[in-house]
Amino acid sequence: MIRTENLTKVYNGKAAVDGLDLEVGEGEIFGFLGPNGAGKSTTILMLTGMIEPTGGRCLVDGIEVAKEPLKVKEIIGYLPEDVGFYGNMTGEQNLDYFARFYGMDARKRKERIAELLELVHLGGVTQKAGEYSRGMKQRLGLAQALINDPKVLFLDEPTANLDPEGVREYRDLVEHLAGEGKTVFVSSHILSEVREVCRSVGLLAKGKLVAQGTLDEVARTLAPSDGDAVRIVVETRERLPDLEDPEIIGVERNGTRAVVQAKTDIRDRLAASLFEQGLHVREMRIEEPDIEDVFMAVYRR
Amino acid sequence: MAFDRLLNVARKEFSDHITSRRFIIILALFLVISAVSIHDGIENYNNSLESYNDQLQRMEEFQDPYTSWMPEKPSIMYVFISMMSYMAALGGILALAIGFDLVSKEKESRSLKTLLSHPIYRDEIINGKVLGGVGALGFAMGLALALAVAMLLLFSIVPTLDEFAAILIFGAASLGFLLAYFAIALTMSTVAKESGNALIYTLVIFAIVTSLLPMFGMMAANAFAGDPPEPPEMGPMATEVVHTASGGGYTVTSSRSVAVSGSGSPEIDPAWREYEEEMRAYVEKRQLINDVSNILSPQMNYYQVAMAVTNPQISMMSSYMYGGATQEDPGGLADALGRVWMNIAALIVFPAVFFAATYVKFMRMDIR
Repeated sequence: MIRTENLTKVYNGKAAVDGLDLEVGEGEIFGFLGPNGAGKSTTILMLTGMIEPTGGRCLVDGIEVAKEPLKVKEIIGYLPEDVGFYGNMTGEQNLDYFARFYGMDARKRKERIAELLELVHLGGVTQKAGEYSRGMKQRLGLAQALINDPKVLFLDEPTANLDPEGVREYRDLVEHLAGEGKTVFVSSHILSEVREVCRSVGLLAKGKLVAQGTLDEVARTLAPSDGDAVRIVVETRERLPDLEDPEIIGVERNGTRAVVQAKTDIRDRLAASLFEQGLHVREMRIEEPDIEDVFMAVYRR
Repeated sequence: MAFDRLLNVARKEFSDHITSRRFIIILALFLVISAVSIHDGIENYNNSLESYNDQLQRMEEFQDPYTSWMPEKPSIMYVFISMMSYMAALGGILALAIGFDLVSKEKESRSLKTLLSHPIYRDEIINGKVLGGVGALGFAMGLALALAVAMLLLFSIVPTLDEFAAILIFGAASLGFLLAYFAIALTMSTVAKESGNALIYTLVIFAIVTSLLPMFGMMAANAFAGDPPEPPEMGPMATEVVHTASGGGYTVTSSRSVAVSGSGSPEIDPAWREYEEEMRAYVEKRQLINDVSNILSPQMNYYQVAMAVTNPQISMMSSYMYGGATQEDPGGLADALGRVWMNIAALIVFPAVFFAATYVKFMRMDIR
């Protein structure tokens, strides 16, 4: 549904997005992760036809965005980071203004707007948008992104201004939209947020795609490389004796607990050896790389 | 569909303008002052008409009405002369007020980014904004003219078809003038990142084109034309004729040597003839430099065009006061407008240049 090919954007001689190749399938909830300044928003602006790429191309539903931006805008919805509205108009008036660009007739506009305002809990709010709180603006932003019932939804830092209740509602809404077959592209620098809703992620750093796949795949790809070594966590009831095995590379001990670094998975041999020594094994597992740590390492690069 | 999108923006902009407190307050002030000035103008017109009728009656009493001087019937366009200066002041402020934050406010509130995420091209947005602003200024101008015509009719003064055409042309020239300032404000709003800066830039340019340019024109004329030629010591004296043309806030005063009166001798001293030629060339040079700088000032152009419409005689005097030949009959409205064609062209070109600059800047604007 979304594809970028060597997508590049250069500002003042510096590449904000650098040769990005990305593919997001239909109906997917895709998390676009990366630290601030990684190039996420610039990528979204190119995908939504608001700026032109310096090089490469991007396609949404098979339509090349730079060539036919209006055609793409007809089928997408976009919630910008820090979304803004016309402060002298009510939420309903703002939505009505935007809805007119889709050629919707008055009755259809009225029905759609009422439905969306109810969806984002702004039905019956008569305040001008200039008097809205940031959370209310964010919810109205979501409504405006859905005004044309889009096939693809781009959300840039969607939970930035929401309270916990708003965040929960947002997650339910995204799940619901994905259930309808819409593709949702969520850009965020908050891993926990993406983890909750996204089935696949792409990690961007300094304009380049560092990894793409499920969260576990990405974490494994990015974990610090020890060759083919595995880390085995061992805990016994009694104090751990010295562990001996030709495959062992190193051991970090701490009383009854140790992390064994070995060339291969030697859990079976290790368990048998401890059993023979009369020790009671409480825990023995392969240590997976901590996803937060892995992402933080990339963020700090 | 493309026109629908442009119209959607224009309709919203127009509605925003005419419902904004800023616009309503300035427009109300403008209309009140217009009404007062038109009322004064009508009184002056009625007095002139009365005096004209008295003169005609007196001439009829002498039974020789066509061999002596024939008084000129006052035109109802005199009523609009005072409106001209208010238009230049309050109308200018109105135009600046609706334009200076038209784009910068959208950048600040980030609504521009939201708008651009919907199916609309950038040029449709800026053209829609221009159209909405032009519509709002046209609406203000239309109200002012409607008020003026209503007051004329209220005082039982019915314009002829020609006068009605002149009123419409006066309105068009006034709208052209307002558009010039609207265009400046819109350009600054596109260039500046914040509305505060946009307002300051707009006021600076406003001051330059209204005050500094005409002043520089005078200074340049003095500097480049040099000192006026010295008259010869002997021979018949040239008659100094002083013309003063005024209307609204606009006054032109100049002098010209038009005739030489000798003491009974029909012969003119060649030195005097040479002096006359030099003086004429000197005055023409000064005027040319002055005109070139004035052509860059919408206010001066507006005054010239509006004077040609409201008071062709004074306009003609200022047009011919430096030339060799004078024209007794100011001619019709078309003749009067023909004399100020450069000013009319400048009133069209000035906003067009600024709108073009706005367009280019807006199309290239970084919306991150």
